[in-house]
Amino acid sequence: MNPTSGLRARLAEAHRDQRVVDAVHLATWRKVEARADAMAGLRHYAALRDRAAQIRQHTLDHLPQYLEQFVERATALGATVHFAANADAACATVCDIAVSRGLKLAVKSKSMTTEEVHLNDALLAAGVRVVETDLGEFIVQIDRDRPSHIITPIIHKDRRQVARAMARELGCPYTEDPAEMTRIARQHLRDIFRRCDLGITGANFAVAETGTLCLVTNEGNGRMTVTRPRVHVALVGIEKIIPRLIDLPVILKLLARSSTGQPLGAYTTLITGPRREGDVDGPEELHIVLLDNGRSRILSGPFREVLRCVRCGACLNACPVYRNVGGHAYNSVYPGPIGSVLSPLLYGRPAEELPRASSLCGLCYQVCPVKIDIPRLLVQLRTATRARQPRGKRLLMRAWAWAMDRPWLYRLAQRLMRRLLPDDGTGWINRDNHLFRRPLRAWTAQRDLLRPPPQSFRELWKGGLGDER
Amino acid sequence: MSAESHPAPARPGAAALSPLRDFLQRLRRETYRAGPHVPLPASPTHLLREVAPAENLVSRFQTSAAMVGCRVHRVRRDEWLATVRGILRERSARTVLVEPHAETALTAERAAQLSEALEAEGVATSAQCVDESLFAADASVTGVISALAETGTLVCVSSAASARGASLIPPVHIALVSSSQLVADLFDFFERLGAWAELPANVNLITGPSKTADIEGVLVTGVHGPGEVHIVLTAD
Repeated sequence: MNPTSGLRARLAEAHRDQRVVDAVHLATWRKVEARADAMAGLRHYAALRDRAAQIRQHTLDHLPQYLEQFVERATALGATVHFAANADAACATVCDIAVSRGLKLAVKSKSMTTEEVHLNDALLAAGVRVVETDLGEFIVQIDRDRPSHIITPIIHKDRRQVARAMARELGCPYTEDPAEMTRIARQHLRDIFRRCDLGITGANFAVAETGTLCLVTNEGNGRMTVTRPRVHVALVGIEKIIPRLIDLPVILKLLARSSTGQPLGAYTTLITGPRREGDVDGPEELHIVLLDNGRSRILSGPFREVLRCVRCGACLNACPVYRNVGGHAYNSVYPGPIGSVLSPLLYGRPAEELPRASSLCGLCYQVCPVKIDIPRLLVQLRTATRARQPRGKRLLMRAWAWAMDRPWLYRLAQRLMRRLLPDDGTGWINRDNHLFRRPLRAWTAQRDLLRPPPQSFRELWKGGLGDER
Repeated sequence: MSAESHPAPARPGAAALSPLRDFLQRLRRETYRAGPHVPLPASPTHLLREVAPAENLVSRFQTSAAMVGCRVHRVRRDEWLATVRGILRERSARTVLVEPHAETALTAERAAQLSEALEAEGVATSAQCVDESLFAADASVTGVISALAETGTLVCVSSAASARGASLIPPVHIALVSSSQLVADLFDFFERLGAWAELPANVNLITGPSKTADIEGVLVTGVHGPGEVHIVLTAD
């Protein structure tokens, strides 16, 4: 089996619809600009970023202790804390909470962990109706699509596609006006919020010191979800812990700026235990399901750093690969550069080609608010699966490395290649050459043919380039 | 009360916790065999803060709040009532939730004053946050426990007097803020919050109206929360 065939097919698919390509390009570009503007307005960006990275890394380095503290505090406040070793266990736990209490209608606030474990399918199978309430996720759900961005799930859809899905599934009058479509969705979901009995969320952070969950949203659906239903279940990855309350502002100052360019999300909600006695509203029960699902394995290995991720999505927007192929091509809940690191670590073989779908330009590292060195991790992951690469490629790479180690040989090869591949493409090796049709096709089909200039940089330098200053 | 008809298990989490304990033990064994715990050094907040405590907080707050889409009405202390009434009249509000809270600028006395004035104009008011009145209300008027100059953020908490839904469900939210409630930076707010004896079950940092840009990146306000947030800011 050729492990790259899936990725190749998906890449071809990604470029079939020009409208999707354009939509993703425009939307990500806007976010890149918004982020850059927001960071430029931040006084101590570099220091905050250093500190955020330090806090996240420190937490991971001492995770068992902080987890214990979190569990103790949250339990003391009246929350019920569960542990789920994997996706099945997480689904079983949530379904059990719902079924044993006779809960029938669940509202969900956008959450990557619930996507990761495919919670919706499990709840449906258990007889619980689940409604996504984030506008983007709601549209994904009614259109039976998949999210393609961790912050903007329908970044791949234009307004006509959204309009068609809404008219078809909700029976509302057709409109392409985003404001009007939003109003229709609000009406539809308000009715659901009145009747729902179970609220499901993830959490952006979990504060060990106080047993607090922190939820950041823009639309208010997260707040609705932790206000209206009588039971609130939060599915939280074990890496989401933050030591103290005072550590939160460091990361909050960077999170929304990285995602959308806002100084803060519209709503930052801190949840500390279920509704208190005498409270006017709020859920009577709070269940926190701590999810491992491969995280402890990553924690114990050389890729621990990747768990610092705060899911801001900045690396997706910045990535030239993501911008060109969109999120679906990654075939993973976590697309983009961070997904190319996380997915192989979480899912193994089926995702192991993803680290190779990168130009290693380094933009992802540059925009990461917690300084995850994604390019380095991608290279490490490539190395880890080197043995399963095609034999010819391995040999070529080894020869390449060998030549790069020997300057005289490198210079010789340069001169030789210039003969074989002259500037005008008429050399011994060219695109119509059988060498390119057969053994090297896998490489050249997706890459431009090398056109070496008449003189190399070394030769130009020797010829006095450096003296021209 | 419905809380009694769905009691939580007698010892919450007792049974659920044992797999977690096992897991944590395994994690400690496998990942962290060596090394004592090194505490995280305190944040050098004085080097990270955005707004200096000495800055003019009122004008900073006004700018920040306007930037995130709030409408700020900076008025004299005795003008708050007329301002709130004006906003409600302009929106032809028929039903209004007026939620007093002793620790905010909307005291019981002020709330009574407002309700009386509104009722006299034929506007129905309610202080109790029963479900239907919340969904039917055209606007809500509340106080806040704090406001952040850095980001233009309002802070509302849940309690026996204040509902989570009050600043969320009606389409227009009017918040009374007095200038003495302003804190400079997010760091200052979280420091104060950390000093509370017990955190409320629900603390909301509200930064502008409810918004989305999910469809083609077009900004739309009022998705699930209020589309309009008015801040009536008085000096004292």
